[in-house]
Amino acid sequence: DTTKNIEPAQPTAGMQSLKSARFLEIKNDQFSYPDGFKSPNPALNQTGKRVGKEYDMDFLLQFQSVFKEKPTVDWDLRVKETLGEGDSSGRQN
Amino acid sequence: SDSAPTTSSGDVVTVFHDPENFNVKHPLAHTWTLWFTKPPSGKQDWNELLKEVISFNSVEEFWGIYNNITPSSELAPKSDYHLFKQGVRPEWEDPQNKHGGRWSYTFKQRQANDDIWLHVLLAAIGEQLEDDNDNEVMGVVINIRKAFYRVGLWTRSAGTKANPAKQGQPQRTPQESQAILMKIGQRFKAVLTVQDKEVIEFMGHSDSANAGSTRAKAKYSA
Repeated sequence: DTTKNIEPAQPTAGMQSLKSARFLEIKNDQFSYPDGFKSPNPALNQTGKRVGKEYDMDFLLQFQSVFKEKPTVDWDLRVKETLGEGDSSGRQN
Repeated sequence: SDSAPTTSSGDVVTVFHDPENFNVKHPLAHTWTLWFTKPPSGKQDWNELLKEVISFNSVEEFWGIYNNITPSSELAPKSDYHLFKQGVRPEWEDPQNKHGGRWSYTFKQRQANDDIWLHVLLAAIGEQLEDDNDNEVMGVVINIRKAFYRVGLWTRSAGTKANPAKQGQPQRTPQESQAILMKIGQRFKAVLTVQDKEVIEFMGHSDSANAGSTRAKAKYSA
């Protein structure tokens, strides 16, 4: 790792969107997902206090390749501090 | 970046419409906290090895975390990931776990299967493991060990008389509680894609604590 950041890292557009976005209300918001994307399973979300907050696996997996932003600008450091280097795994990134 | 282009969906822009400039995110039913147990490198207490990583309450945040953290297949032996509802420590001693138990299955492989753990995480945050008023699921865990890995699901009760009632809900009989635990176990087994002839086991935390986790006898199986 030869490049060291001198200026503090700036949040990306995606990070900022995540922070400022409001919670979608599936019942009240009028919208449709873009072509090729599935909505949450309509059998879910019918009743109860979890309404609009139940998601089947196929729906959730659609985000995997779409949203890859780190949670925070200092995320890599935080992961390093929390997960550490492992003992002898020798894993480096 | 003055004004977002008008879409056919009016002013609702999801991450699928525009991953950089979206204005809604998908809420989860609960706030979840990810914890990590570091493999011991000296003689620390287990408590010093257990660390809170981050809490989140949207689908998008979950993927940002999952896509930028070490996959379970690359963790060193004696590591654990725990995903628990916020406010519950992933320990038997937490007052909310005291009367609970866990479903678990041991995979006799050295390297964890990332898809299995991911599917368990998604089933938890997507509320696919229990019904709305069950209030049993406390969290899910993966233990990486030298020659195997184990995936568990922790529940609030263990089908005994010491049956903690969730605030504002009637106390369940042990039988009612057992029926709910069995249903959750079957769903968990399906998410793990464990073959029908294989068995996943449930143990109360207090039984595990008294007998030593490897010798305790399973209470239920599915």
